[in-house]
Amino acid sequence: MIGPETGSGPPVGDPGVPGPAAPPPPRLRSVDLARISTRAVYIQALFTSERMQGPGFAFAILPAIRRLFGPGKRTSALKRHMGYFNTHPVLAGIVLGAVARLEERRARGEDVSEERIDAAKRALASPLAALGDSLFWVTLRPLSGLLGVLSVGLIPAPDSLGPDWRVLLCPLVVLLTYNALALPLRVWGVGRGHARAGQPSELLRGLHLLEWRMALERVGAFAYGALAASVLLLVWESIGRVVGGGAGHLLLLVAGAVVSAAVLSRRPGRLPEAALLAAGLTALLALLL
Amino acid sequence: VISELLVVAFLGGILALDRLAGVGMMLSQPLVGACFAGALLNPGPAWELWALRIPLGVGALLQLLLTDSALPGVRRHHESSSAGVVGAAVALFAMQRLHAVLSVPTDGTLWVVVGTVAGLLAAWAAGPFMARIRRHNRSDLPRMDDAAAAGDVGAFEALYWWGAVRVLLHGAAWAAAATAALSGLALLVLPPLMNHVSGGVIGGAFAGLLGAALTAAAFAHVRGRAGVLRWAALGVLAAVAAKFWIEGAGR
Repeated sequence: MIGPETGSGPPVGDPGVPGPAAPPPPRLRSVDLARISTRAVYIQALFTSERMQGPGFAFAILPAIRRLFGPGKRTSALKRHMGYFNTHPVLAGIVLGAVARLEERRARGEDVSEERIDAAKRALASPLAALGDSLFWVTLRPLSGLLGVLSVGLIPAPDSLGPDWRVLLCPLVVLLTYNALALPLRVWGVGRGHARAGQPSELLRGLHLLEWRMALERVGAFAYGALAASVLLLVWESIGRVVGGGAGHLLLLVAGAVVSAAVLSRRPGRLPEAALLAAGLTALLALLL
Repeated sequence: VISELLVVAFLGGILALDRLAGVGMMLSQPLVGACFAGALLNPGPAWELWALRIPLGVGALLQLLLTDSALPGVRRHHESSSAGVVGAAVALFAMQRLHAVLSVPTDGTLWVVVGTVAGLLAAWAAGPFMARIRRHNRSDLPRMDDAAAAGDVGAFEALYWWGAVRVLLHGAAWAAAATAALSGLALLVLPPLMNHVSGGVIGGAFAGLLGAALTAAAFAHVRGRAGVLRWAALGVLAAVAAKFWIEGAGR
């Protein structure tokens, strides 16, 4: 439970003799979880291939360690979380919340071993990394960019002189598309992980990440089809009107697409090189023809 | 020029933080960076709508060209966070200084091509930049371990915050340096080159970039994804239907 300290700890010493008040059992407050959430935003600032987000995890969970442990025990708690850790940054808050809950129980004297905390961390981090990467990096991030590009064509340009608001609205489409899903998980992830630390499978199922990914993949494909058709229809008019020879430029567009596809099929990820090669070759073709 | 480079450095730092430190709000997408750069570097009403449309065009092309559905951790060849800012800044910078000198009538297409090529070069050259940040991070690890072992939480936090600040400073320095270098290159290369190049060649380069952009987007959204082809076909049908409907309504 999250809440103020209640001071309901066990009495110390002889019950018949009034002694000093026992320290209340340590308990995380809402403000601690909020601090963990804000620190989790920078979880990759010291990203390395050896420990991935490990130092970031230790940095993010520090408010909980400070609250739960005295100076003597902080060292071992901090060192415990400095090792290898990797998950999707948007979903890291869920693991942080769940681990904070286990640390809280450990600090209260419950039988929660270091190994159990480590195992729980791994058990949540791995599936969240797999689901989060495929949803956020592979599907939602490209989709948000694609919708931003589509909005350049869909939002009407101003007829007369005046500000072209697309320069603000199109980036807004990108930011809203991605963050409509990602931001709530970042904001509430720590609290959710803390509240449901004991039910990891329910916690994972309740996020519906797989369902989101499948739906967004379809939206992405639909948007791509609409964009490709719109570009091919427009290129005949606009390129032809601007510099003449619409049909020739349509052929050059296809040539650029083929060159780029050939490069990317053989060397995946070489996007700038493929585009520069396509532009150079088509410019050369235009010069020669 | 200094004030323009300071704006570029500011944006480059923020975008690097977004992309590399885990913030991940998508500020570092090329379209967002290019549009923000266009809005902040707007050369004024003398350039009418071009000042904003060119960054939009550069951003849209770079967004498609640099959309990589691979995971950030496995990308080694390029770093696209500052590509949009650098591309839009170089395009606007070159446009203001060379427009009067060049006589090729391309209605802004030339500057979109120049900005896109600059953004691609910046993304390509920035690959080692990310490796450099990771090398710095690796060298900080022993010091963080020592701070944790000594129970010095303050030193541990200070080292971590410095890691975030370093990402910001690297991003700012890289964006400003790349913009200055590529703008200088454009000022040097374009005037003599344009004596031998017609509008058709510029249109050819633009068409090639568009084709490459559609291919890159197909690799990101359709290729290797099960059961999405029919959705892409539906999108094509919807776009064609919308075009005919809009044309019919116009008549």
